[in-house]
Amino acid sequence: MKELQENIDQRIALYGLISRLMLKEVDADFLKNIEQDERLMEFLPNYRDWSKRNEFDVDELIEKQYNVDFTNLFIMHLVPYESFYVRKDQMIESGGDNPVLELYNALDFRVALSDARVVSPDHIGVELEFMYMLNVALKKALEADDKEGVCEVLQIQYGFLRDHLLEWAPMFLINVKKESRTPLYHDGAELTLEFMLSDFEYLTKKRGEVCASEDAAS
Amino acid sequence: MTKSMNNEQPTFVESRRTFLKGSAYTVAGATLAAGIFETIVDTPVQAEETKFTATPKALSFYPPFEEWDSFTELDGQDWKRGGVGRNGVKSDTNPDGIEVNEFMLVPTVCSNCEAQCGLTAWVEVGEYKRTKDPRSLRVKKYMGNPLHAGSRGRNCAKGYATQSQMYDPDRIPFPLMRAPGSKRGEGKWVRTTWDAAMEKIGKKMHDTLKVGDEMSKKLIMYHVGRPNENGFGHRVPHSMGCDGYDSHTNICSAGAREGTIQWANDDRNSPDWANAKLIFLQSSHAADAGHYFQQSAGYIADARKKGAKMVVLDPRLSNSAGIADLWLPVWPGTETALYLYLANRVLNEKDINGNDLINHDFVENWINWQQMMNDSDHLAFMVQEGIIQTLPQDNSYASFITMLQELYAPYTKEFVAKECKIEAYADKLDELYDMFIDAGDRVSTFLWRAGPIAHRGGWMITRAGFLPLALRGAMRGDVGGVGMHHWHVISVNGKGDAATVAGERPPRVDVWNEIAWPPEYPLSTYEMSHIMPHLLLDDAWRKKWNDKGLNVPEKLAVWIPRMYNPVWINPDGFRWIEALKREDKIEMSFNLSPTWSETNWYCDFILPVGLAGERHDQSSEPTKPARWLAFKNPALRVALEKNGWKPKNPARATLEAHMASGLGEIWEEVEFWANIMVHHVDPDGSLGVRKFWASKEDPTRAVTIPEWYQAAFDKLPNLRRVAKEKYPDSKYPNYEMMRDMGTWLEEDNIYKPQERLVKKVDGKYLAHGHEYDERDVEKDEYGRLMVEDHVFGGKKAIGVEVEGKERQGFHTLSRKLEFYSKWFAEWKWPEYAVPFYPRNAEERKKYVHLVSQVHHDFIDESKNEFALNTVFRLPYNIHTRSVNSKHLMEISQNHNPVWINTDDAKRLNIKRGDAIKVTISDTVSNLESGYFIAMAVPTEGSMPGVLQCSHHAGRWKLKNAVDIPGFKHKLGVLGLGAPLYDMTMDGKVGTLKPTEGLKEGMLARRDTWQFKEYNKDLDNIWWDGLSGAWQNAVAPSHPDPIAGNHAWHQKVSIELASKDDKIGDIYVNYENNMKTYQAWRDKLTRPLNANDTLRRPTHIKRPAVPLTLKAYTVHLKG
Repeated sequence: MKELQENIDQRIALYGLISRLMLKEVDADFLKNIEQDERLMEFLPNYRDWSKRNEFDVDELIEKQYNVDFTNLFIMHLVPYESFYVRKDQMIESGGDNPVLELYNALDFRVALSDARVVSPDHIGVELEFMYMLNVALKKALEADDKEGVCEVLQIQYGFLRDHLLEWAPMFLINVKKESRTPLYHDGAELTLEFMLSDFEYLTKKRGEVCASEDAAS
Repeated sequence: MTKSMNNEQPTFVESRRTFLKGSAYTVAGATLAAGIFETIVDTPVQAEETKFTATPKALSFYPPFEEWDSFTELDGQDWKRGGVGRNGVKSDTNPDGIEVNEFMLVPTVCSNCEAQCGLTAWVEVGEYKRTKDPRSLRVKKYMGNPLHAGSRGRNCAKGYATQSQMYDPDRIPFPLMRAPGSKRGEGKWVRTTWDAAMEKIGKKMHDTLKVGDEMSKKLIMYHVGRPNENGFGHRVPHSMGCDGYDSHTNICSAGAREGTIQWANDDRNSPDWANAKLIFLQSSHAADAGHYFQQSAGYIADARKKGAKMVVLDPRLSNSAGIADLWLPVWPGTETALYLYLANRVLNEKDINGNDLINHDFVENWINWQQMMNDSDHLAFMVQEGIIQTLPQDNSYASFITMLQELYAPYTKEFVAKECKIEAYADKLDELYDMFIDAGDRVSTFLWRAGPIAHRGGWMITRAGFLPLALRGAMRGDVGGVGMHHWHVISVNGKGDAATVAGERPPRVDVWNEIAWPPEYPLSTYEMSHIMPHLLLDDAWRKKWNDKGLNVPEKLAVWIPRMYNPVWINPDGFRWIEALKREDKIEMSFNLSPTWSETNWYCDFILPVGLAGERHDQSSEPTKPARWLAFKNPALRVALEKNGWKPKNPARATLEAHMASGLGEIWEEVEFWANIMVHHVDPDGSLGVRKFWASKEDPTRAVTIPEWYQAAFDKLPNLRRVAKEKYPDSKYPNYEMMRDMGTWLEEDNIYKPQERLVKKVDGKYLAHGHEYDERDVEKDEYGRLMVEDHVFGGKKAIGVEVEGKERQGFHTLSRKLEFYSKWFAEWKWPEYAVPFYPRNAEERKKYVHLVSQVHHDFIDESKNEFALNTVFRLPYNIHTRSVNSKHLMEISQNHNPVWINTDDAKRLNIKRGDAIKVTISDTVSNLESGYFIAMAVPTEGSMPGVLQCSHHAGRWKLKNAVDIPGFKHKLGVLGLGAPLYDMTMDGKVGTLKPTEGLKEGMLARRDTWQFKEYNKDLDNIWWDGLSGAWQNAVAPSHPDPIAGNHAWHQKVSIELASKDDKIGDIYVNYENNMKTYQAWRDKLTRPLNANDTLRRPTHIKRPAVPLTLKAYTVHLKG
């Protein structure tokens, strides 16, 4: 539990970062926020060292580099939706039969799809933000010392990574890494992939510790 | 930078870093996250039973037909709010629930290309039922019609875009009239009404017809574009006794038709794509963009799913070529040689078992070889010409085959590789041949635009293309092969005569109009409409023929384009503008047009008529071996009438419905023509016209839609029977059934109808609606059943004996497929009476009529000369009326570049995006036409030496908007689809230069007054509207001397544009263009002369007005 408490803000920050990166075009504030954090910038080494960041102002980079790359990667040529990767017919399930939407609904989470500007709730950015939201919930449970709640959230996170994100997002992210034309999205894809895999290991371990003790306690 | 990043070795797992160790991040997650989750939802999930599903189980979902009058569906915003499972359905007690639309599905037909795919207009009627305000009706979407046998519920982008055409912010809202005192083209307009316009136009037509002489019947010209009306438009001049119909066919498909007429006396072939083993395409037509794109593409996909191969001959890597099993880029216009190469191998080679590859069963029985072998004069002529070396030994079938073997032996692989300029990949010919042979008689093709319309002699491509198919038996019209157009089409739209006072079809017309059918082109497949202005403005030409005894019109009293934009789409556009501006040459003009167009700008009236879901039309096309028809409905009218609304005047219900529901003063042609004829053209019946349009039920008014279509559809026995069963109490069961279903399959699986037996009942033969007593039927030496021709005199065949049975046969004089076209030889072209192509440079000079104007003989690479391929369509932008559909315009923004092969580009130092000057010159007159400036795109998708630039782009306008006196809003002009241009013209030279994009026009008034709710997104427009240059204006009209089609391709030279040139600029010497047209006419045609007694062979189709023998007869002075 202690370790969970120590790590929760970092997990929240990382899921916040990667979900935002995958969901919407970046803006100057977002870039400023990550650039002022040296540790985060360590995860984006090519971006950190990219000479063009010193040659052009940020608005120009956004307009002529990042947004172009984002449009190519997330709107036009790659398909950032789970159903596209897991359904045999490769159709995006935009309706109520989407199992991810069912999961959100079952847990009383509602996605404002129109704000997200995505056609379906199984978009990679939405799924990552769902992990972020679960971490926010986990933090509350940790603060309340609600062991049952902590275990429940860990189980959901573990299950969601196993059954959803890790089922498809690695394939998508490898494609993003290959197709990207800016270091921001290249590094971002690598960070996302590595962090998800790392977090899955972390959750496997923590779930075993916390939920086993929970079982024992009860 | 990124390249080096992506060259790294994959390290997806190995480089795993430690994310959670170390100090905390300085930035909080909440600062970074997008925050699109609305955290924990307060609304409980509603578990109530609901019929609504968030997603249909299959993409092909359509509501069951029984629910079409009232189908409830969740509003499209549903998914954004979490679905009905959470929110429930909106109601008085649940105001936050998901809104439910009550739709009435009104079937109709797409009007954005000739394929005529089924549509359903989804009219939201719930609000109307609550408020009874017709203005609350909205068509919320257009979907497919699953009942349509051809399109099967599917549509392309153009079908769904019907909605953005319907609610176009620049839609013409009411009839407009050229402002009194202004000149044509000044762009000054005043508002008028349909009644006022009909009064003025009707009087002019009345006064013209009242004269009653021969000339008066040539002075009204109805110039009809798309969508197809299946015969209704023909009836307009016909009912007035006028020979006054022009179509767009001779800029479209007349070349292909000429070749098909010679083989089968049919309009075009009709492939059975779905069951073919080889899809053999020339150009991107059928699978990509043209006839009949969406339906054909679906059937081709079905065939390929079953293992069919696909071959595409095209100098351009089209979408079709890109997915083909074999793409063979051949020099444009030389395809004829390639087809004859296939014929040669079929004739002279054996299969692996040593058997003939020729399908003797079909060839011996169904090709007119006997006529040829008995025509010793013609055989001798062929020897004399060197087409064959020796006379056949005898007139047997075996000798016929031997003659063919010799005739086509010169078309070797080596010859074709050189002629088609495919030396580098000549082995592909073997691959093609193997595919062709492997498919047996299941080879389907559709030879239509592209080659046959692009070249002098393009018609011979079709003529030659059918030869190898015929030899293999694929022209039998059997499963997976090639049938004929008229087997698979139904045209009853103009046959509602029984509903009129006359009760019968108008009589044949007695005059011949030289403006549509000039004497230089007696075999032109359709009207010479693309040279209408040239003819009107050529005094010397008119005098020449009048001196010979003809009575050629010097003007038109009324010219009526109907949903047609000839100024823009025809070649030599400045010549069109010159003619339209001349009020002494065209005294009155009005365009029945749903949108602004370049042609409208030069008319006296613009009368807005309806698009796909705003009109009535019957449609039918040969998209499969079946006879289906479809019916366009005005969706808002039908929705109103089914909910109890009644028009004040039942003969004007469509206009009234559109005005009541706020669409605008939008009418349709069927009601318009009936009303203007009855009340204005011939109000007292003295001209004999009124009776063909007045209602039999109530002769004081025009015929109504239910009356007309009840009568028209009554011609179809199966439809009639089922309608009576389904609507036993209806006065108009045929109409009502078609109104509700929108489509009908009269007959399915139509194969080999030529083999059907001639009907004979009680000693009488039945053929083409006539009875012939068997005592009056003679069988001739070829087994033809000959009867007297009561219209044109002499004898005609109604059937033919084959294998001892009297069969219906093809529609040719011989009732068989005509390898040898005797009538064609008699009509002055004996050297081309069989499929043929010049075999060497000398023959290319001698048989120049078969040699394309862009043949590589004429192209000098050292002078930067190229052949320009203009005839391909952009799949989403075909006819000009879709120019202002925002959805189609958004996906059309590629500036229609000039494709140039990468090696050619390198040689000329041309890079992607460079502006180049493309100068057109003619190889007959040797005159330059001018140039257009376009963007170059080097690509391997273009064969060397050939440039590609579609002539379907480059729209323009001269004003952003027009002020209408007394109307508070400006009317926008093509605000979404065309930039503003400056034009100059002085009678000899014309120029056009783009000056503004869409920002200054449309975007400055994005808060549109019209259809505001639908056009809230105009600020999303990112395109500037420049979609290429108006190359059509630079191109001279040069009609094929036989088929009459404008030969679209051009010889061009290119260079980098100067800094003063801008993409979109054009410069045209249209004085030279006139001379080029005249050079083609004078050097290449074989006009009527004093020895001729007829204007044209009477047995081939002579669209669109049926004529008497008197009209056909001609006596010319020597």
